[in-house]
Amino acid sequence: MMIKTERILHLKSSRGGKVRVVREHYLREHVPCFSALCQAACHNEGKTLPEDVTHYVVPDAGVVRDFLEVLEFRELQGIVFMQTACQAAQHSRGRRLYNRLRSLLKDPRHDCIHFANEFQQYSYCPREKGETQEKWQTRCIYHAAVWYHDHLAGLRPVVMITEDQEAVAEFGSSASGIYVISTQEYLQSFWPDLLAAHELYSSICQALQERESESTEREYAEHFPAEVLEAGIKSGRFIQGTLNVNKHRAQHEAFVRFEGSTTKNSELNSDVLVCGGKNRNRAVHGDLVAVELLPAKEWRGRNTALHEGLGEDKAGEEPQSKPMPTGKVVGIVQRNWRDYVVTFPPREEVQSQSRNSQRILVTPWDYRIPKIRISTQQAEALQDHRVIVRLDLWESTSLYPNGHTVRVLGKSGELETEVQTILVENCINVPPFSEAQLRQLPESSAEQPWRVEPEEVSSRLDLRDTHLVFSIDPLGCEDVDDTLSVRLLPGGTRLELGVHIADVTHFVQEGSLTDLEARSRATTYYLADRRYDMLPGVLSADLCSLLGGVDRYAMSVMWQLDAQSLAVCKVWYGRTLIRSSYQLHYELAQSLLNGEQAEVPELDRLDDEAERCRRRAELLQALRLLTRVARHLRAQRDQGGALELEGVEVRAQLDSSKNITALVPRQPLEVHETVAECMIYANHWVARKIQENFPHQALLRHHPPPRQEFFNQLIDSARTRSFAINTRSNKALADSLDQAVDQRDPVVNRLLRMMATQAMSNALYFSTGACSEEQYYHYGLALDRYTHFTSPIRRYADIIVHRLLMAAINAERGLAPSKVLASNKDLEELAHQVNNRNRASQHAQKQSTELFQCLYFKDKDPLTDERCVADAVIYAIRANGMLVFIPRYGLRGPVYVKNRENQVVSVEGDGSCEWKAGALERQVDRISTTTSTGTHNFSIFDHITVRISVQPSRCHPLNLCLEVISSRPHQAPVAEAQPKGRGRSELVQEVVRLAEEASQQAEERKGRVPKLSKEQREFRQSKQPNLYSILQEIAEMALLDLHACEAPSAEVQTCSTSA
Amino acid sequence: MAGIELLSDQGYRLDGRKATELRKVQARMGVFGQADGSAYLEQGNTKVLAVVYGPHEVRGARSKILYDRAVINCQYSMATFSTAERKRRPHGDRKSSEMSLHLKQTFEAAVLTQLYPRSQIDIYVKILQADGGNYSACVNAATLAVIDAGIPMRDYVCACTAGFVDDTPLADLCHAEESGGGTSLAVALLPRGGQIALLQMDARLHQDHLDTLMEAAMTACKGVSKVLDEVVRQHLQEMSILTGE
Repeated sequence: MMIKTERILHLKSSRGGKVRVVREHYLREHVPCFSALCQAACHNEGKTLPEDVTHYVVPDAGVVRDFLEVLEFRELQGIVFMQTACQAAQHSRGRRLYNRLRSLLKDPRHDCIHFANEFQQYSYCPREKGETQEKWQTRCIYHAAVWYHDHLAGLRPVVMITEDQEAVAEFGSSASGIYVISTQEYLQSFWPDLLAAHELYSSICQALQERESESTEREYAEHFPAEVLEAGIKSGRFIQGTLNVNKHRAQHEAFVRFEGSTTKNSELNSDVLVCGGKNRNRAVHGDLVAVELLPAKEWRGRNTALHEGLGEDKAGEEPQSKPMPTGKVVGIVQRNWRDYVVTFPPREEVQSQSRNSQRILVTPWDYRIPKIRISTQQAEALQDHRVIVRLDLWESTSLYPNGHTVRVLGKSGELETEVQTILVENCINVPPFSEAQLRQLPESSAEQPWRVEPEEVSSRLDLRDTHLVFSIDPLGCEDVDDTLSVRLLPGGTRLELGVHIADVTHFVQEGSLTDLEARSRATTYYLADRRYDMLPGVLSADLCSLLGGVDRYAMSVMWQLDAQSLAVCKVWYGRTLIRSSYQLHYELAQSLLNGEQAEVPELDRLDDEAERCRRRAELLQALRLLTRVARHLRAQRDQGGALELEGVEVRAQLDSSKNITALVPRQPLEVHETVAECMIYANHWVARKIQENFPHQALLRHHPPPRQEFFNQLIDSARTRSFAINTRSNKALADSLDQAVDQRDPVVNRLLRMMATQAMSNALYFSTGACSEEQYYHYGLALDRYTHFTSPIRRYADIIVHRLLMAAINAERGLAPSKVLASNKDLEELAHQVNNRNRASQHAQKQSTELFQCLYFKDKDPLTDERCVADAVIYAIRANGMLVFIPRYGLRGPVYVKNRENQVVSVEGDGSCEWKAGALERQVDRISTTTSTGTHNFSIFDHITVRISVQPSRCHPLNLCLEVISSRPHQAPVAEAQPKGRGRSELVQEVVRLAEEASQQAEERKGRVPKLSKEQREFRQSKQPNLYSILQEIAEMALLDLHACEAPSAEVQTCSTSA
Repeated sequence: MAGIELLSDQGYRLDGRKATELRKVQARMGVFGQADGSAYLEQGNTKVLAVVYGPHEVRGARSKILYDRAVINCQYSMATFSTAERKRRPHGDRKSSEMSLHLKQTFEAAVLTQLYPRSQIDIYVKILQADGGNYSACVNAATLAVIDAGIPMRDYVCACTAGFVDDTPLADLCHAEESGGGTSLAVALLPRGGQIALLQMDARLHQDHLDTLMEAAMTACKGVSKVLDEVVRQHLQEMSILTGE
């Protein structure tokens, strides 16, 4: 059994004194070794080290602490992390490193295990008197390595790596089969080809050396220790929250949004402002910090003036809003550092800096991140390159944080580099699917198509002959994950509505490599010019896709509805086998509904005329029935107060379609809504089912009601046009938005809806055990429970929901669950992860769209090119300018009416504008400039003409710059973007033409950099990048943003169904 | 703020035990000659001395006398040297009087008091070293002392704590685990009949987890009862050898 020993620790007591603590320590003989080579029949569960490695490697505590990143390379195999090393690393570097280590150990793609050496009777060695901690740890680990080697009967040599030269000398040759060498030597002799690891190693080494030779002059106040922070946060003296740096004034302004309900500070209901670098005290954007409030007389307001990217000028005399709580950072609860993309400075700057040392200050791509100090000898080679950098630490003696380089992305300004930058900045990691992963999947090729397995046929409900199943998707869609069926049941009193979703979970077993990869991606990423799939192509475009005319597995929800009242009588959930008869697209379905003689390809193949007519009538009847049901469902939700944010769904449809290249003016058709409504209904019912079955561990999606103060801008703006917006409930808001229509200017309503959407928070996934039942409510859809069930091919959340649903069905049938369900905590963690990934995906999509917009305008001369001049609508007023929206390109941006020389815009009689000396006055709803030529008011919802140009930037993303050139609406030869009808199609043509021109430029660009193609091959997974398709997408984007203006922000999908 | 990791991913606790494993329990009965019954018990590093006097006639106020059963008087105290920092512990502070009350309730449920009407049984327990699970160690030691005194009981009273970390119940918490901030549930059980003599939990716990936690605590109690039973039998054997029977 176990042997009890004691270990004596010396800890610090709460009062600072030293306390001697005696802790028990139990040792046992059987501690699993997690090696497939084990001769002693260890009880190895879970991840084991494979047999086919040449050696095992045991890193020392110091190596784990400093070089964990190197050990993270997947090429390094057979790593045994000793418990001693893990604990030492946790102790010295904190939770962050430890969590990283934990996730590494959990990751089955990575070949490493944890061995609890301190609990093994023979591998444990107690610390001796007078022995230093480090020495003891090294001895422990060596001892454990020896044990491990003997335990495996010496079948594989064990290599212990350490940075401690004394240990190398001491243990180096004391036992056969065990080698003690330094990390560098290890990498050189065992992995000479793994250059990336060598580079990373030397980069970290240099950063470490640099750290030792630090000066001692203090630049910042010290942080409080963790205990003090914790006590302070509990007592309410400090406020804990996430630091958010203002992107436009990164040097000066940051806000701390505090988390949870700190009721002790109930008078504080806004964010806390942190002014300036000293007060920010080394906190970096995204860190969890503790702030202390300054006395109220030192409080300041937030800056309301518009600002260009790099605001270096002094604050102080600039206009400010009324003072808000202001504080200073006193400690950092948790760092949230990620990988940052930086740009190396040009040569002349490098030289001036490098005179004192090899350190170089590099500028991150993200404005909100401070400059990072790096020591490298490659500065010369890397100038004007974008490089991934990790932060190491930020001492109080240093003005800038220290970091080390990880990987070079490419030359800045190149398309591929820029896209990769966007991915890295959003922490999106999408390597190509691995061989091993693809090997696990069933095969399907043109010669040998995949077939339904007979045992599955018997266990599933076969709908192939009984139901008319069809799908409606955007034209050319490859991954059809939802199909519908509707029919009148015999007897005529009941209807049966069915939603059949691709059965992805049948192919993606929980815990398989595909599942793990999908889980870490969490969603398919759509960028402006490409997409990165969550599942490999064989699944997403073939086996799981519910294509027409082939047998496919599905998960179905089928309702029996009363034919008259459409009330639900019965619901059935389960696995089915379907064959979709028609693969329709939206336009086709709509024209069928409208009674037009549209051609259905599936029908045209039939020869028999009578049969064709019969089938056509059958399909038409089904579509009509579906429309009727959907209208009813919609009306039901509308009564509940569902928000109708127009365009929302159009945008979501765009998202969901894989084929962004199809260039169709997407008019909101009723059939969009019909399909969406059925999907919402299915999601809702599945949510009910899993929530009832698993009250504490079901994955749902909620949309919290927005905070009322966020609506202020909307209410104020609407008031200028004398509309009253009622934001009390979602229903009131929806109604008042419907009424706020200006007959003369349709843009007004769109802008108001845009502001309403902006005011709302994001819909989020959550585990039912983590929230109270009232919080399940979905504000946008007005449903008490909601989840995502209908797109398992491109969202991981749906896969989880499918599994939950299957578990619920099995439990009802009395079958034992095949696998233990994820606990509430695991599920909450997962929901958090998926939420994060979704946010990253939306940011990446937005940023890539912006990138392409900039590229579009980059090569045009703003002064001569007519396309750079556009009509804009003012939607918000700031102290020195206004924010405008350009319907034609779907752009939003600031326009200044006062420049740096303190001149203001003066408006001539014909509306044209000039810079002149003058005064500026700002009211709530307008800003007026007074010059020698007179006074002009710019009011909210005024149309003006602006010129668009691109602001060059070396280190940061490109920016569009807007400049007012006339106070009158733009009169252009091209018809302005009318929201509906002819105007739009003209715009489409226009954009296509532009795109073609741009294609030539892009070709030139490509011609200049042949290196690019290699990277493309490496990073890109979608099919061969067709240049034409990229350019069509540029065109598409303009369209996309046209919709985006109706519902621009990230949470759009939340309110829509994104079916 | 997460403190130390109480349960590692590999399923080990701080001191190397698995979730359901108890600490090492060692005990001796009859350590003092003067008292009617006495026992010394170690549960891990928690060390307790328990002494029983009685049954004897009621001392002090006559109003305390119960005419149908015996009065049980418990007193709990901690040695000044029982914790890491030396601390004067006056008698009758809130914590120890609460603990005394709990002990009293526990033993009133277990001892066949109606056999001794109008009399009194004194149980004194002293913590010599505190390392978590003080209450349960006291109950276990007192049980042995009561048995040593020859006072009839319905069954052994075995007590054990259980905590809840990461959706896993942990049996028999040590001090570090108790102060880690989680829930701690103490159960005193009459193991043969499965009756609960005392159940105490101060922190919050979701109702759904209560059953699993109770289950874990009761299993742990049964484990303790086996050890106690062995100690009693061994003690009897030694005694019978001594007395030559």
